[in-house]
Amino acid sequence: MSFTGFGWTMPYLLLLLPLALLPWLNQNLDKKVAWVRLVPVDPLSKAISFVLRSLASLTIAALIVALAGPFVPEQLVDRYGQGAEVAILVDRSRSMDDPFAVVHQPAMRSPHGDDSRRRVSKDYLTEFVNRRPDDRFGYVFFSANSQELLPLTYSREAILATIEAGAMGRGLSDTNIGNALIEAAEMFEREVYRGSRIVLLISDGGAVISEEEQAYITELYRQNNLTLYWIFLRPMMSMTLEPSEDDNLLWVDTVERRLHEFFKGLGVPYRAFEAGSMEDFANAIDEIDSQQYQTLVVQDTLPRQPRADLFLWLAMLALLLLSASQLYTLWGVRKAHE
Amino acid sequence: MAERSVNYLQRIRLTAMAMCAAVVLIMAALWFPHVDRDIKVVDTLFVLDITDSMLVKDARMGRETLTRLDWSQEFVRQAMLEMPCGSKVSLAAFTDSRSLILINPIEVCANYHDLIQVLHKIEPPMAWAKASEISKALFTAINQAKDMDPEPSIVFITDGHEAPPLHETLYPKFGGTPGEVSGVLIGVGGTDLQPIPKSNEDGEIIGYWDVNEVLHVDVYAAFRGDLAEAMANVQRTEHLSSQKHDHMERLGIMVGFDYLDMPTANQLMRTLRAHASARTQRVDYDPYPVFAGLALLLLLLLYLPYGLLLGLRKRKT
Repeated sequence: MSFTGFGWTMPYLLLLLPLALLPWLNQNLDKKVAWVRLVPVDPLSKAISFVLRSLASLTIAALIVALAGPFVPEQLVDRYGQGAEVAILVDRSRSMDDPFAVVHQPAMRSPHGDDSRRRVSKDYLTEFVNRRPDDRFGYVFFSANSQELLPLTYSREAILATIEAGAMGRGLSDTNIGNALIEAAEMFEREVYRGSRIVLLISDGGAVISEEEQAYITELYRQNNLTLYWIFLRPMMSMTLEPSEDDNLLWVDTVERRLHEFFKGLGVPYRAFEAGSMEDFANAIDEIDSQQYQTLVVQDTLPRQPRADLFLWLAMLALLLLSASQLYTLWGVRKAHE
Repeated sequence: MAERSVNYLQRIRLTAMAMCAAVVLIMAALWFPHVDRDIKVVDTLFVLDITDSMLVKDARMGRETLTRLDWSQEFVRQAMLEMPCGSKVSLAAFTDSRSLILINPIEVCANYHDLIQVLHKIEPPMAWAKASEISKALFTAINQAKDMDPEPSIVFITDGHEAPPLHETLYPKFGGTPGEVSGVLIGVGGTDLQPIPKSNEDGEIIGYWDVNEVLHVDVYAAFRGDLAEAMANVQRTEHLSSQKHDHMERLGIMVGFDYLDMPTANQLMRTLRAHASARTQRVDYDPYPVFAGLALLLLLLLYLPYGLLLGLRKRKT
């Protein structure tokens, strides 16, 4: 129920509004008059009586309306911010249960260990979200399938709760990055273009993308003007995405490096973060922040605002006038009696 | 005549005093400071079954018949509307043998829109495997609820159809303490056996599960050749589905949950509130209705048409 854009917490109280007519039913029994016609017609006192009754009606009506709890419903307001729209793409495959950045040799799976890649990824994502206050975030998780979970939202509470849920329990099944990259891009296709768009992939990356998928992904990412970030959770401490001179033979031509090569050749802005210390990561985010300054329209939700005060003020002013006139009458009558 | 005029004076004085009192009350309504008030809130983890049997259309809500999954989603939506602001809601999906937490507890009023968005993503395409081991999923939900802060009550919505079926004695046992985490099992679905739609990756229905596509006995029995003859006489109805009341009741007793068969959101909230796990949440409360209400009462007393009322009484006598 609403009129003039108000919402009501207790709309049924508005049914009491006819009570505002009571002052008009009231008969004057203050004085006995022998014959009504004897009273001279006095336009001034008629007008005064009309005004007083109106004031009384107004007071009663305003009080009832205030009691019904009027509020302006929550509203979306646009403001200009400097940020981006970010689709967070989270790997929920089983391999994410493995420990992160092992120094010596691959350790056993420890799904409940604090060092599992999934738990580490939660820390990185939380850091990312907290460092970018004007961004709008969406969440896609993937394993064998990919699943959009939270469409782009400004609610930091919602995105952080989703990221936290991603760290709970065990992993699902295999890794299918190709499909996931497509799903994340498609999240943007339904949206109005507002500013820079980022796909933030967080994964240990062990998956091959077929050539067909590669071609489709390239097209999709170029068309939609997407930027790709990859937070790479390396399985071994010494592993890097870029080949180096004293490279370990084990890392040559791994799936992770091939994926990195493919991303570099996408033709869209791309950057890989090889997760090491949280401090390095924080610095890296600040750095892209300064590169990514692009003004975009940010929508904020204004929470519902109660408006009962407005009507209470109205009631008070009307009643103040009314009581003033009553006090004046009292003074006058008293004087007449003296 | 003199007596009359004293009365007249008194009446005017009384009216003036009442009006001034009402003004003071309205001022109080405007400026009285907000007070802290404790309300009882129930934090809830909703777990929705997304296995194919939930696509059977036999769940009554009001005058409509919905699929069990649609019923579940609408039920959760209504339950969220019933919750007082300050309550926290978490959502999870169940298929295979576990509950997957999708969103951790967040405040229900401020995040209603996002919660609804996530709720409507809880559909069969999300399923990572096509099995329906309800008991195990329920146990994982309970374990994960313990890791959450604040620890929620669980509302587990399912039709109770285990696939593959359970062995009579070799079913998963609950390792925890019954009732340690409070919760409610919500049964959804009718009592008649119905064919189960089969969904593909995109959630489209591509036919029905055939009698030969599902296991009709538990996994243990299915792999024992020596029982083959005995098993040949088993009723082959596992490709059909109805709400399994007995199984749900047994599960409920095992973990210490109440079992409700397609309740209203209101009934659910009453059951949840009856549990001890309700948390008190301090809310900022503006006590203006008390003062404004008193002021209104005072004014109505002033303006009641006593003349008319007296006139009516006189006419009667």
